[in-house]
Amino acid sequence: MWLAQSNINPDNRLKSMNPFLTEKHREVRRSVRAFCEAELAPIAKDLDQEARFPWEVVEKMGALGYFGIQVPKDLGGAGMDSVSYVVAIEEISRVCGGMGLCVTVHNSVAVHPIMAFGTREQQEKWVPDLAAGKKIGAFCLTEPNAGSDASGIQAVSLLDGDHYVVNANKVFVTNGGVADTCLIFVRTDPEAGPRGISVIVAERGAPGFVVGDLEDLCGMRCNPVSSIRLNDCRIPAGNLLGREGMGLAIGLAGLDTGRIGIAAQALGIAQAALEEGIRYSKQRSQFRVPIAKHQSISNMIADMATQVDAARLMVYRAAALRDTGKPFSKESAMAKLFASETASTVTDMAVQIHGGYGYSKDYPVERYFRDARVTRIYEGTSEVHRTVIARSVLGKF
Amino acid sequence: MGIHIIVCIKSVVLDAPGGKIVRTPDTTTINPFDLSALEVALAARDELGGTITALSMGPETSSLSLYSALSMGVDRGVLLCDKTLAGADTLATSNALCAGIRLLEPYDLVLFGTRTADSDTGQVGPQTAVGLNLPLVTQARDIVFQENGLEVGAECDGFRQRFAVDLPCALTVAPEAAKARDASLGGIEDAFAGSIETWNLERLGLSPDQVGDAGSPTKIKGMTPASKGKQCDFITGSIEEQADKLLEKLVNAGLIQ
Repeated sequence: MWLAQSNINPDNRLKSMNPFLTEKHREVRRSVRAFCEAELAPIAKDLDQEARFPWEVVEKMGALGYFGIQVPKDLGGAGMDSVSYVVAIEEISRVCGGMGLCVTVHNSVAVHPIMAFGTREQQEKWVPDLAAGKKIGAFCLTEPNAGSDASGIQAVSLLDGDHYVVNANKVFVTNGGVADTCLIFVRTDPEAGPRGISVIVAERGAPGFVVGDLEDLCGMRCNPVSSIRLNDCRIPAGNLLGREGMGLAIGLAGLDTGRIGIAAQALGIAQAALEEGIRYSKQRSQFRVPIAKHQSISNMIADMATQVDAARLMVYRAAALRDTGKPFSKESAMAKLFASETASTVTDMAVQIHGGYGYSKDYPVERYFRDARVTRIYEGTSEVHRTVIARSVLGKF
Repeated sequence: MGIHIIVCIKSVVLDAPGGKIVRTPDTTTINPFDLSALEVALAARDELGGTITALSMGPETSSLSLYSALSMGVDRGVLLCDKTLAGADTLATSNALCAGIRLLEPYDLVLFGTRTADSDTGQVGPQTAVGLNLPLVTQARDIVFQENGLEVGAECDGFRQRFAVDLPCALTVAPEAAKARDASLGGIEDAFAGSIETWNLERLGLSPDQVGDAGSPTKIKGMTPASKGKQCDFITGSIEEQADKLLEKLVNAGLIQ
């Protein structure tokens, strides 16, 4: 589906129907798809229904490098590029959105900031276990009164000797129930406004580190999203990422990258809904013909396929820009906005194509429909993304 | 130094849209019956040390199956690729593989799948073994390395057989012998950082009349789609027995591994 004939040179992207993919990326797709269909597909429905985190699959994913996709080999990662990363996230999410979420958040907003802003000593301390999936990472920014406005956080951290004393109440923490290594956004200088925000790495098990109840969410139910509270939690000063006051810069850098992953996740969910829509429309007959023969249904399939294809090109473009070292902030925002809106639209259409059965838990499209909804909310809402894009397009005037 | 195992693999056609076979990256994949042979080789190398060479014959697209093998952990991939190799029957294919394998000497073991998912003759492994004058065990299910050779278990016509075989030897490996490992992302990265060696007819030291269409004593006179009549099979027995029988059918059909 992805490449034109005779595209054999591993670096030859020019003959490709998708100009961003090489043969290596095709192999990533083939391999991750085979793994997910064998290991995740048979249990995805149960994971959703039971809100269960599949440790048994996580262990296998860890051994295959899924938790350190872009981490350099010398720190135990797979050393791959961003395009490989989005292909892998897309394929995991095509089968199980909640696990796609786990892997993308771990890679892009937990591991990546440590790689980008951590010292070599910090990288060697945390990254090998994270890359192997032995420890799970989390990004703890959102608070009850601070979401889109990240500068409004109230968590505080005061230096006391060679330790920070941290008090924080973080909510909607993806992977929160299983996370070992958490990036906590705190105020280290309460008087300095947005410039007083820093990132401290807190480790599960530290006295005062409390995992709250798991959220009972509409979708992504296998992901143990929870609150995390730090009550007078003493964290070594050496766990500060970057310098004091760099918190927002670290957060924005993480979110720029994270958006590509969430866009890929939305794309995978949309792809799954498209495939189910096609399958069902060919198999279900009404008025003595498969419903795909009815123009109202085939038009829906055409629109779904077109939107998914457009989203895919945008997601891969953002990743390819990142790989070539070019600015990708606007493109990643556009990809996240479009892919998440597409996921919502396409999963809704897939439910419509299925009729009453689409509203039943006997068919996977209702899970896709629920999973897709949150992609327009987390890692920057669609509204915030429109602001980011508009600012970039309009410039200063 | 360890052992040197050569695994012969084929890139097979997954789909023939409109009845026409077109070999593209999207319509071809590694023959599923070769995966157990690859896994047997990888497990042996992990235990004993050494190297594995994956060898294939086919058009350029076949290199992708060799990259898949490298991604799983194979050390070296060699593709026999030349216009004169096209149109080969199983004997001409074996002639080319024999020449390729001789160029890879010294080796201890040559492995094949039992058959292929596209043409399904099951002849190439045995013919190549004969061409190389190697002892051969077909349908190998378990392989134990011993001091001076192998002990191989095989199953045929409802009987279990055990063979002692001298090295070097050739085996066709049954799908039941091993479940292939998944390629790791790091393995894929390493595979594509390397390259596949491509050998032409001159490199093989063969003449055009020994290979390809010219070297094939059998010719395809015609090919038409077989009847698509659906056949219904009733599987009987307890639920467990039914599940086992269904599993066996799916494995034998190459649909699952």
